[in-house]
Amino acid sequence: MSGVEWPVSQLVARLLMFVGPLAGMVAAASAGVPPPGWLVALVLALAVGWALLPESLLGTTCLALVLAWWGLADLTELPAASLVAALGLLVAHVAALVAAYGPPELAVDAPTARLWLVRGATLFVAAPVVWLLAVLLEGQPEPPGVWIAAMVAIVVAAVIAAVAFGASEEEPVGDA
Amino acid sequence: MTLATRWRATAALGRALMLAGLGIGGAVLMGEPVGLVLVAPLVVFAALGLAARPTRTPSARADIDHVSLHEGQGTTSRLRLTDAEDAEQITRVVAEARYVATHPADGRVSGFVADGLPILEISPRRWGRRTLGHERVALTTRWAGYRWGPATLPGLEMHVLPGPTAYTSRAETPQPKGLVGAHRSARQGAGTEFAGIREFQPGDRLRRINWRISSRTQRLHATTTRAEEDAGMLLVIDAVADHGRSGGVDGAASSLDLSVRAAAALAEHAVRRGDRIALRVVGGSGRQLRFGSGWVHLRRLLLALSGIHSGVEGHRALATHARVPLRATEGTTVVLLTPMLTEAIATVAATTARRGLPTLVIDTLPAEAEPAFPDDTDPELADLAWRMRKVEREQVLAGLSALGCPVVAWRGPGTLDEVLHRLARRAQLPQVRIR
Repeated sequence: MSGVEWPVSQLVARLLMFVGPLAGMVAAASAGVPPPGWLVALVLALAVGWALLPESLLGTTCLALVLAWWGLADLTELPAASLVAALGLLVAHVAALVAAYGPPELAVDAPTARLWLVRGATLFVAAPVVWLLAVLLEGQPEPPGVWIAAMVAIVVAAVIAAVAFGASEEEPVGDA
Repeated sequence: MTLATRWRATAALGRALMLAGLGIGGAVLMGEPVGLVLVAPLVVFAALGLAARPTRTPSARADIDHVSLHEGQGTTSRLRLTDAEDAEQITRVVAEARYVATHPADGRVSGFVADGLPILEISPRRWGRRTLGHERVALTTRWAGYRWGPATLPGLEMHVLPGPTAYTSRAETPQPKGLVGAHRSARQGAGTEFAGIREFQPGDRLRRINWRISSRTQRLHATTTRAEEDAGMLLVIDAVADHGRSGGVDGAASSLDLSVRAAAALAEHAVRRGDRIALRVVGGSGRQLRFGSGWVHLRRLLLALSGIHSGVEGHRALATHARVPLRATEGTTVVLLTPMLTEAIATVAATTARRGLPTLVIDTLPAEAEPAFPDDTDPELADLAWRMRKVEREQVLAGLSALGCPVVAWRGPGTLDEVLHRLARRAQLPQVRIR
């Protein structure tokens, strides 16, 4: 990758891919579940690798670690900081897909950036809605069979997604 | 060329699906809603991405508006897509090609399909057959769920003609021998150039009678004029080697650049005057083009010039046969465009001049030309050899001048005026010709 001159827009996108997971970890610390230093270092290392290779599995691994830390954390209540973490994950994800539209030397044009800014904001609405529902339903008695129904729904959704996704491997557009 | 590939899920969709599954599964298994909150936007993203799954397979074809154009001119590379209704975003990346400038300069464009397919402006910077760099095209569906390509389209070929060079000349052609043209002939005929006044002869046109002289002498006299004829020009290009560096139409010119551009300018000038023109390439392709006139012939000649490349194949044949059969007839002016670093070319010039054909040499060796030596060559030795070669070259040029074959450096308009005047004056004198 030596000798490649990245435009500013690509640098910004890749910076956001680095900042997003970091925001997720910082939010966890602010919620009272600070991640251990080795985990932060691992996430940051993966984020750097992902910023260089936005089409790689490093991104999935990096975001999955943040997600896993939040899932495994012993939370007494659903903190508002989880919304910051959700925003961090979404920003990093959207930045990666915008960066992967072409080779690293291809600048992200303004209409594309605007479109994904709007789309990202629209997508983020789902997080506070779910958070609000979770806060409202906290402490309510669970209807019988709700978890089984949820599992069935997940399996069905996963099967549909797997069929739609297809089994083919993806080829990157650019070098990175 | 049309190319078809297929849609594949993007890394973004795969990432969203995996994280969504992880977050929802974890939340359900552990009874903690935080995972749901974190992945909720990604779930929506994945759902929208999957919903925009494409149903048709597009195909792409790259075209350029002009396949043949002059160096320095510009054209547009367009992409033609079929069945691409599912695509939202398009990215085009054209690889760099020698002597081809693009706009944007890096050859990368991206945009929305709905806004019109992005175009690339292309400008070849040097004459010749140019192949554009191969192009990679990728399409992405709405919500970046699926990507088509990147498909690689092979580079397109262009015929780049030598640039339109301004060239004019007021010089008369030394020995016009044709039918009808713009050059003053040595013989008398129906022209406009005054030749003399003589007694009326049967066959003279009545409108040629000079009444003033006739009334004074009491005998009919007629005004005579010189005939006007067309002439032929044979352009001989030395393509045995290309000396110097070519920086394209805006940069430094190599010997072959100078030769080809000068030949194009001379040919255009000759065609404008109604003269016949022929081409002979020595070395390289060894291309020959018979005498012809008119704009169609000029176009043919420019295409032949654009196909010239340096090489020694023809030169070997040249050395074997000792003489090049130029097929130049009486009345033809032979113009050799050469850096004069090949003995055989000097022989051609000398032989043609001895045949009595008006021959002139246009020296196309750039001042800054340096020879190419292998890396392990002693630089001092190389320099000495090059200087000796240049001294030899000067001797050859001086020898040709002594033979009556003028040598001039190409400097655009008026380059040949003086030498053509000299050759025209010399053509009036009686000569001994070797056939």
